[in-house]
Amino acid sequence: MNNYDAIVIGAGNGGLTAATTLQRGGCRTLLLEKHNIPGGCATSFVRGNYEFEVALHQLSGLGTEKKPFIMRKIFTDLGVMEKVEFVQEGELYRIVVPGEFDITLPASWKGLKTVLKAEFLAEQDNIDVFLNLCEQISMESFMALPRARKIGSDEVLKSSCPTFIKYGLVSAKDVLDEFFNDKKIKTVLAAYWCYLGLPPSQIAFSDLAVMIYAYAAFKPWHIKGGSQAMSSALLESFLEAGGDVRFNCAADKILTTTNTDHTSEVKAVRTEHGEVLSCKAVISNASSVLTYNELLDTGQPPVSVQQDFKSREIGTSAFVLYLGLDCTPQTLGITSASNFICSTMDEELMHEQMNKLEPPVATMLTCYNFDDPSFAPEGKSQVSLLCLQYGELWNDVPPDKYAETKYALADKLIEQAEQVFPNIRDNIEEVEVATPLTMMRYLNTPGGSIYGFKQNAQDSNLFRDRIDAVEGLYLAGCWNGMGGFQPTYMAGESAARAVIKQLKQKETANV
Amino acid sequence: MSNTVNPKNNADSTYNVLNSIVGYQEAVADKAQWEKDGSDLIELKGSVDVTVATLHPKRLTLEVSKVIEETPSTKTIRFISTGAPLPPFQAGQYINLFVDIDGVSTARPYAISSACDEKNYYDLTIKRVTDGFVSNHLLDNVSQGQQFLSTGPMGTFYYNPLFHGEDLVFLAGGSGVAPAITMLKDILSRGSKYSFHMIYCNSYIDDLIFINELRSLAEQYPQFRLTEVVSRPPANFEGFKGHLSADLIRNTLGSIENKLFYVCGPTPFNDYCIGQLKSIGVPNKRIRLEANGAPKNPQQLSDWPTTIDAEEVMVTVTGRGSFKAKIGEPLLNSLERNGYSVENACRSGECSLCRVKVISGNVFNPPEAHLRKSDKTFGWVHSCVAYPTEDIEILF
Ligand SMILES: Cc1cc2nc3c(=O)[nH]c(=O)nc-3n(C[C@H](O)[C@H](O)[C@H](O)COP(=O)(O)OP(=O)(O)OC[C@H]3O[C@@H](n4cnc5c(N)ncnc54)[C@H](O)[C@@H]3O)c2cc1C
Ligand code: FES
Repeated sequence: MNNYDAIVIGAGNGGLTAATTLQRGGCRTLLLEKHNIPGGCATSFVRGNYEFEVALHQLSGLGTEKKPFIMRKIFTDLGVMEKVEFVQEGELYRIVVPGEFDITLPASWKGLKTVLKAEFLAEQDNIDVFLNLCEQISMESFMALPRARKIGSDEVLKSSCPTFIKYGLVSAKDVLDEFFNDKKIKTVLAAYWCYLGLPPSQIAFSDLAVMIYAYAAFKPWHIKGGSQAMSSALLESFLEAGGDVRFNCAADKILTTTNTDHTSEVKAVRTEHGEVLSCKAVISNASSVLTYNELLDTGQPPVSVQQDFKSREIGTSAFVLYLGLDCTPQTLGITSASNFICSTMDEELMHEQMNKLEPPVATMLTCYNFDDPSFAPEGKSQVSLLCLQYGELWNDVPPDKYAETKYALADKLIEQAEQVFPNIRDNIEEVEVATPLTMMRYLNTPGGSIYGFKQNAQDSNLFRDRIDAVEGLYLAGCWNGMGGFQPTYMAGESAARAVIKQLKQKETANV
Repeated sequence: MSNTVNPKNNADSTYNVLNSIVGYQEAVADKAQWEKDGSDLIELKGSVDVTVATLHPKRLTLEVSKVIEETPSTKTIRFISTGAPLPPFQAGQYINLFVDIDGVSTARPYAISSACDEKNYYDLTIKRVTDGFVSNHLLDNVSQGQQFLSTGPMGTFYYNPLFHGEDLVFLAGGSGVAPAITMLKDILSRGSKYSFHMIYCNSYIDDLIFINELRSLAEQYPQFRLTEVVSRPPANFEGFKGHLSADLIRNTLGSIENKLFYVCGPTPFNDYCIGQLKSIGVPNKRIRLEANGAPKNPQQLSDWPTTIDAEEVMVTVTGRGSFKAKIGEPLLNSLERNGYSVENACRSGECSLCRVKVISGNVFNPPEAHLRKSDKTFGWVHSCVAYPTEDIEILF
């Protein structure tokens, strides 16, 4: 069949939820993926007896069975809730600055308060106020703010979002400075900035607050079989609903027609193999930069897009070691699945280091089989060791120096992790190193970016309209909203709903 | 920008609503400034493709520049690029060479046997195998000037400085010497603190590929030791006679502590070596084994279902057609023979490029199939090492 209601380009999180929602919603949908497997970031690979999770550190937004949150509903609607199993993490994270502190935060809203107060006696009162602030801002962000915006009422906003108004867009750094004196607690509480990729001075407080609250209240999760299991489950659900998929089949062009009013409208997609497949709508899960600057056939991208791009910057990529270790998490001294290891408390410095091909000062170590032994062969461990890094750096590395550069840096990462977890190296049975160029290769994103554009306050949809310059062309993924798993799963679903609505309207108009 | 409110643009009206949020207007002003100064990112056009292709081109366009007779049963075929410069590779990696033989499009992976710092060509060293479809074709029909396509360098069998250490032992059987010699040269270039011991096993002395070069390197570099083992040598042979054994390994190496063992040769050789290494206490993590294609006789594997007596099964490719396939033949091979093309590289179950989904019917997956857990849940198999055991329908 060469004629579809919708074509989805890319089978990352956003593309998979988009395609599945479309097909289950009655649209004949084709999903095109450049690689041979669905998932984009949400994938895994096998080396020896290990299966390595590529990207998912902590899934947010799921909630427990008793206290479910939005992702449970979305996964249920997508028909995958029965196809995957989730594993709850017991801790938010352990954060260690050798010589300074070593603190583990439990994954519980009450427990978090207790631990912080016990560790930072002098800050007890501030802890109460601060955490209440996080909770308030989260509540307002989830419900009241979207409502006030929809209604378009200043009054409603003021009465329902007082905390967000005061603190939501202030930098995370300023808010932490306002409430705390002790630098240590600020570093402990700011650790999740890594999931956004910018230091506390450059992110909106609401983004940090929501992460702290949501992870503690709704728990961090892993997926059995890795995020690949979810990607494959979504694909399965899409196929069950009758969707068509093609792997090893990149979209090469989005073809448009020009209407009499000079606007353009999507009419087809041409694949890398030269086949032209017609459609009424396209949802692109590829980067917006690729979508508009390369895939779109209009020559120059629309003015509104150029304008949008001018106020953006390419976000961070990552340098990651996937380690299969011949020993148990206990032998390694691992006491929490997620760990931050920093050799400084200065987040600005940590961020500056992301711009250098030098040993990082902040790394993340995740041990997947800590909460559930099935994530590694018996008696062994699956560990990922990651530092954020801008991809641009790697442009200057000559190809014949690539391997050498990558191993030299990997070596430093192991050294840093060994400050807290000695004996990593002696236990290596398998290791694979991924650089920003690896991310670029598998995601097809500029700079190998893993979260899309830099996630400063202006990256959020409070400052951006949906780009609708080309009729029928939608984006779904980390390039038109937040990066990360929950946001991109949700972005695909909502883009698909918009397409379904548009196609229905068109149909009615044509009757 | 004009101040007129675009009626389509809902967000414009909410902008005013959001104005009362502390910091909102400043943030809008910053954004407006960036819109004046920033780049529309058009300069990135094509950059991802170019960067990725220099390290990991999907296809190389190659031309045979030379064919070198190594032994009566072995030739080295030298390939130069007719396109972009050849990408760098890690010593021990392979390329998958695409061929058309009698109307069948297929491919086989071969280790690169030229040195990593040789930028102008890749050598592939190919030994005759009984009934070898592609190897024998390459040996018999390839000459200078012929053109080929291949994948870029791939594979996980290479020296990894993060944990392999400085004391390396390579057990090479027959053409397993191809990655071994590349690795040897790489290690020698890293300096004298490394030691490399090659135990090179063959049936006949006629088969000793690269032997003169290896012997002279062994003389030249104290950090390289060569142990030759020949099972059916002539009377005057100076190396070890007979088969490699645990004793021989122990006696020639002394301690196994901190050593890393590479094993590459025909499948029976590999299985045997692993057994011998384990018997002298080498832990798994100190053994690196090169993949070696699909099992030749899956019916002899212990997990093979005993209930099968059919010789052929019907394979249906959803929406495209169907054909008969022999029991015991990898699915990828029968697909190729029937004109279906599936991406592939290792043809040994490791790289997962050849995944297909089994919609119905059963397929035997040998231990070579490095499947993901979720593949098993949702029926995906690696077609290069998947053996249909009844009529199947697949999707890809
Ligand atoms: C190492 C790593 C660690 C991470 N850690 C976390 C974490 O702890 N928590 C978290 O929430 N997030 C994390 N992320 C980020 C998160 O995984 C991503 O932001 C998110 O998965 C992006 O999803 P996406 O839908 O935008 O698509 P992507 O994953 O970017 O996928 C895009 C897909 O489109 C395909 N494609 C591109 N171009 C074309 C084309 N022309 N034709 C067809 N297909 C095309 C690509 O092949 C790819 O499959 C991490 C990412 C990485 C890599
Ligand atoms: S070709 Fe590599 S797994 Fe089949």
